[in-house]
Amino acid sequence: MIANLPAEPDPPVADAARGGAQTPPEARVRATSPSARHGGELIVDRVFHHFVSSGRRIDVLNDVSFRVAAASVACVVGPSGCGKSTLLGLAAGLLRPASGRMIWDGQAVKLGPNPDLGMAFQQPGLFPWMTVHENVAVGLRTRGRSRRDARAIAERFLHTVGLAEFRDAYPSQLSGGMAQRVGIARALALEPRLLLLDEPFAAVDAFTRLKLQQEFKALLKLHRPTVLFVTHDVPEAIALGDVIVVMTQRPAAVQRIIPVTREDRDRASPAYARKLADTLECLGVSSNLEPEP
Amino acid sequence: MTTEMSRLRVTRRLLLPLAGLVIVLVAWEGTVVAYALPSIVLPSPRAVARTLGELVASRSFWRDVGVSLYEFAAGYATGVVLGIAVGVLIGESRRFRLATTPVIEALRFIVPFAWIPLTILWFGTSFTGKILLVAYAVFFVMVVSTARAVAHVEPTLSRVGTMLGMGRWHLAWKVHLRAAAPTIASAARAAAAIGWIAVVAAEYIGASAGLGLMITNAATSLATSVVIAGMIVIGLIGAGVSALIGSLFRSRLDYR
Repeated sequence: MIANLPAEPDPPVADAARGGAQTPPEARVRATSPSARHGGELIVDRVFHHFVSSGRRIDVLNDVSFRVAAASVACVVGPSGCGKSTLLGLAAGLLRPASGRMIWDGQAVKLGPNPDLGMAFQQPGLFPWMTVHENVAVGLRTRGRSRRDARAIAERFLHTVGLAEFRDAYPSQLSGGMAQRVGIARALALEPRLLLLDEPFAAVDAFTRLKLQQEFKALLKLHRPTVLFVTHDVPEAIALGDVIVVMTQRPAAVQRIIPVTREDRDRASPAYARKLADTLECLGVSSNLEPEP
Repeated sequence: MTTEMSRLRVTRRLLLPLAGLVIVLVAWEGTVVAYALPSIVLPSPRAVARTLGELVASRSFWRDVGVSLYEFAAGYATGVVLGIAVGVLIGESRRFRLATTPVIEALRFIVPFAWIPLTILWFGTSFTGKILLVAYAVFFVMVVSTARAVAHVEPTLSRVGTMLGMGRWHLAWKVHLRAAAPTIASAARAAAAIGWIAVVAAEYIGASAGLGLMITNAATSLATSVVIAGMIVIGLIGAGVSALIGSLFRSRLDYR
């Protein structure tokens, strides 16, 4: 019934910024045409955040602003503990910013579930009482997919991350890298319009990592979500990102936003070497590891 | 080699526990003989065994067992269900926790036995008083451990649940309660022991039937061997119930 209705046009960004326009959420969720499933724009708008730890305030994010264009991939790199995960938590609606706001698809992000969202966490966070397969399927069920659909989709994405034969295993039987891949499959299986990844390939061995990066690129072409991808690995950021957002030390601000072009991704090209050196320099690392003579 | 191993297993599983039992019985018999105790003070193990045999053959004994088990089961089920429900509310809702903490903290240190005079006053020697008493004893064990277990679920699991589209109470039910289930199950097992003790204690003081009453009646007529036989039955039933509940929950809920 709802599929027959024309999808409502997205509100213009300027309207949303004033907090005026509201798209009924069901119109966005249930629209099934492929273009409607594409990612929207994510705006990080003057975001500040801090935690209170044993009475002391720790500033984490200090006036962070950037935009991730619709259906593009932004890789966030920066020193350890600089607040990259916090940034993802805010974009996901798991945390509320101390000030400023996150705007997803024209609307301020609110605390609580977001039907557009898929996220893979730094710790895989699998439900230990569910099999691998159930872990991937459970989100599809909570989002209203039929049992049969959920099963088929979960099967497909387990295959993508190379864990099809572990479908009936329990998380306690998996290695760290395998558990992380299940976490990735769970996020991808939701076919999210906004995909947030927190160092998803960190615990995966180097070879599997390259393979997953390739698979991941292919998937992005298919569903075209908007992606915010936190990584420590600069070559990975160049391989996957349309832009690289370089963060400073905590309290983190945006140091630089580096666009990545198609030729930058060719690892044999001088453009790649330049981009790598550029990004590493931003992070305060010399690309020449040889000590000066 | 396999026979060697199975022999070792028989030794461990059967002979050692049996040895423990025999030591107690020998010490018991030895005490009776050495001090020439009259059977009113301490009957010998053999006399108690004989009494136990007579009890098991009698109909009134089984009625007493049935009454005690019924009171226990009804009270235990009530206490566990209510305790888990309130425990989840406390674990999930800060407001609810703040509102209930003073009452629960005050009540949980009033041991069930302190309520026995009041329950007799209010409910006489009926089943209701005993059932409420068991429910009360079990409830507080369950509330406290459920609330704690639910509140200490790995925070990443909550974030994952929210990410997957679960609302607050869906998360509470499907993630927090499920993750806490093994802890809650061990609390339920501990609560069974406490509940069983509460039943028997309540029956000692005021009841129209039940194992506790059987023992007090026997004590007033100086049938010491019945008293001891009754105590043994109480111990055996308690251990059986606790083991049953433990295995029931463990096999279904444990994922660790």
